[in-house]
Amino acid sequence: MNKKNYLLNLNNSKKPFIIYKSDKGFDLYTDFSKKIILNNKNIEKFINTKTRLKSTGKETDLFIGFFGYEILNNLINVKIKKQQTTNFPKGIFYKPETKIKFSNNLEYKKTRLSNPGNLFKININKKSYKIIFDKFKKKIKSGETYQIKICTKYSNKSEIDALDFFSRLVKSNMAPEAFMIKDKDYSIISCSPENLITKKNNFITTKPIAGTLKKNKKLNKNKALTFFRKNLKETKEHNMIVDMERNDLSKICRPGSVRILKKKIVEEYRDLYHYVSLIGGQLKNKVTSLDIIKAMMPGGSVIGCPKISTLNLLNKQEKENRNIYTGSFGYLKFNGDMRFNIIIRSILNFKDKSEISVASGVVIDSNAVHEFNENYIKAKSLMDLYK
Amino acid sequence: MIYIIDHQDSFTHNVVHQFENFDDVVCTNFNEINENKLKKADIIVFSPGPGAPKDYPVSSQIYKKYKGNKKIIGICLGFQQILHCENGKIIEQKKIYHGFQSKIKVTSKNSLFKKNHQFTVGRYHSLKLKEPFAAKNFEITMRCAISNTAMTIENNKEKVYGFQFHPESFLTENGNLLIKKILSA
Repeated sequence: MNKKNYLLNLNNSKKPFIIYKSDKGFDLYTDFSKKIILNNKNIEKFINTKTRLKSTGKETDLFIGFFGYEILNNLINVKIKKQQTTNFPKGIFYKPETKIKFSNNLEYKKTRLSNPGNLFKININKKSYKIIFDKFKKKIKSGETYQIKICTKYSNKSEIDALDFFSRLVKSNMAPEAFMIKDKDYSIISCSPENLITKKNNFITTKPIAGTLKKNKKLNKNKALTFFRKNLKETKEHNMIVDMERNDLSKICRPGSVRILKKKIVEEYRDLYHYVSLIGGQLKNKVTSLDIIKAMMPGGSVIGCPKISTLNLLNKQEKENRNIYTGSFGYLKFNGDMRFNIIIRSILNFKDKSEISVASGVVIDSNAVHEFNENYIKAKSLMDLYK
Repeated sequence: MIYIIDHQDSFTHNVVHQFENFDDVVCTNFNEINENKLKKADIIVFSPGPGAPKDYPVSSQIYKKYKGNKKIIGICLGFQQILHCENGKIIEQKKIYHGFQSKIKVTSKNSLFKKNHQFTVGRYHSLKLKEPFAAKNFEITMRCAISNTAMTIENNKEKVYGFQFHPESFLTENGNLLIKKILSA
C-alpha cells in the first residue's frame, strides 16, 4: 500500500493519529499502545518517569502529545480561578508503536462528509476589548507588567475532517512547528511557527518569534529586516522576549553557557517573514525533564513579561478556559531528549465545537483598535478553512 | 557568597547567571528568604521585578537591617527599593522604557567609573526617582544622556550601589565589567 492510500485508510478508520512537521517533511505517529490523560496530580510523575524509560533504540521510544495552558500554570504554582470550561482534558500524551515519514506534500483529498458549520462568534467584542486593553495599559504604567497579550476566542459548531483541514492549512502556510492530532472525540490542527524547546543530550535551545510581516511583491528578506529594525515597537517587544528567554534558560543551564546564537534575524516562510532569535545553553548536570518544562513553560513570548505577574493579570481577567492555546505540543523521548512548540494558530475541535484563540500584545505604545484587528486577521486564516 | 533576592521577575536569572561569573550565588523568592544564608552572605542583591518598592516591605526591612554591614546592590526595582528606603520618591514617568536601549553618562567625579564616560544600556522601567533627591553618603553618578533621569547611585562609604538599567541585559554593553568593578569596590 502506498503512503497516500495509507493516509486515506487511516483517516477513514477510527484510529487516532498524530502528524508533526519534521525537517524535511512530516512524521506520522499512530498505533498508540498507551494514552495518558494528564491532571494536576499525575503530571509531575508522568514527566519524570516517562523520560527514564529504557530505550530500545526504536524511533517510537517517545511520548507525544500536549500540555494545556491551565496545567502548565498549575505546574509553576500560578493559580487560575474557576472559569467557564468545556471539560476538555488538561493534557494528553500517547505512546506510538508506528512512525512513518511523509514528504511536505500530504496529498490528501477529502472523501468524508463534514459539516463546516455556521459563523464564528467572538467571546470579547471590540468595546470590551478596549476596556481590557486600557486596564492593562494602566498596569504597564504602574510597572506591574511590561508586555501582556490579550487573548480572544472565536468559536462555532462544526464537524470537521481534521486531515483535510490540516493538508489545506500546510499548503497555504507551511510552518516549522505544524502538527495535527486526530482522536475519537477531538482533533487539533495547528500551523505553529514557534519552537519552545529543542533538547538534545545536554544542549537546549529556544527560538522565540516577536515580529511577523506578511509577504508582498515589494518586500524581500533584507527589506523585512530593515522594517523590523526601524520599527521601535517591534524591536522593544523582541528585546524583551530575548531577555526573558535568556532568563528562563539560565534557570537550568550552566553559569556562563547561555548564549544568543542568532540575534534578531529574519526567517522567510512561504507567506511570512518572522523576526526571530535563537538562544541556547548547556544544561546543568542534575536538571530533570520536569525542571526544564517548569523553567520554560508556558512559553513567555505568547504571554508577556514578567511571566508570573503577567500570568496573574491574565488569569484574573479571563473568564473562559484557554484549553490548548499557549500550551505546548511535542514529544519526550525515553533518552530524555525533547522537542516542544508553543500552541498558537490552532483549531481545537471538541464535541463538534471548534475554537480558535488568538492574542496580540499590549505594550505602552500599542493601539487597541489595531491590536483587535490584528487578532481578527490571525484568526481569519484559520476560519477561512471552514469555507 | 552573593544572596540574590528575587522579586519574581523574568530577568532575575540573568542577574544570577551574570553574578555566578564572580562568586557563589544563592537566589530565593522575596517571600521565601533563608535567614541563615542571608546572614552568611557577603553581598545582597535586590533583583528587578514588577510593581513598586512599597509592594515589597520585607525587602525594605532586609535593606535597613544590613545596610552598612554588607555590600548591597539593587537593579531596576532593586535600585528603586534602595531609594525608597532612603526616603526617595518613586513615581511614574511620562515616557516608558521597556526593552529600550539607550546611552547613559557618568556625571560625577566621585563615581567608581570615569566622569563623562558613556555606556550603552538596556532599560525596563515604568517608574523613576523623583528629584531632587538627597541622602547621606549617596550620590547619583550616572544619568540618561537624553532625559537626564537618574541611572545609578553609589554610596562608596557604606557600599550601597544601584542601577536603574539592567547590567545583565543583552542590550547592555560591558555589563560584566560594570558588575566586576562594583563587586571589587
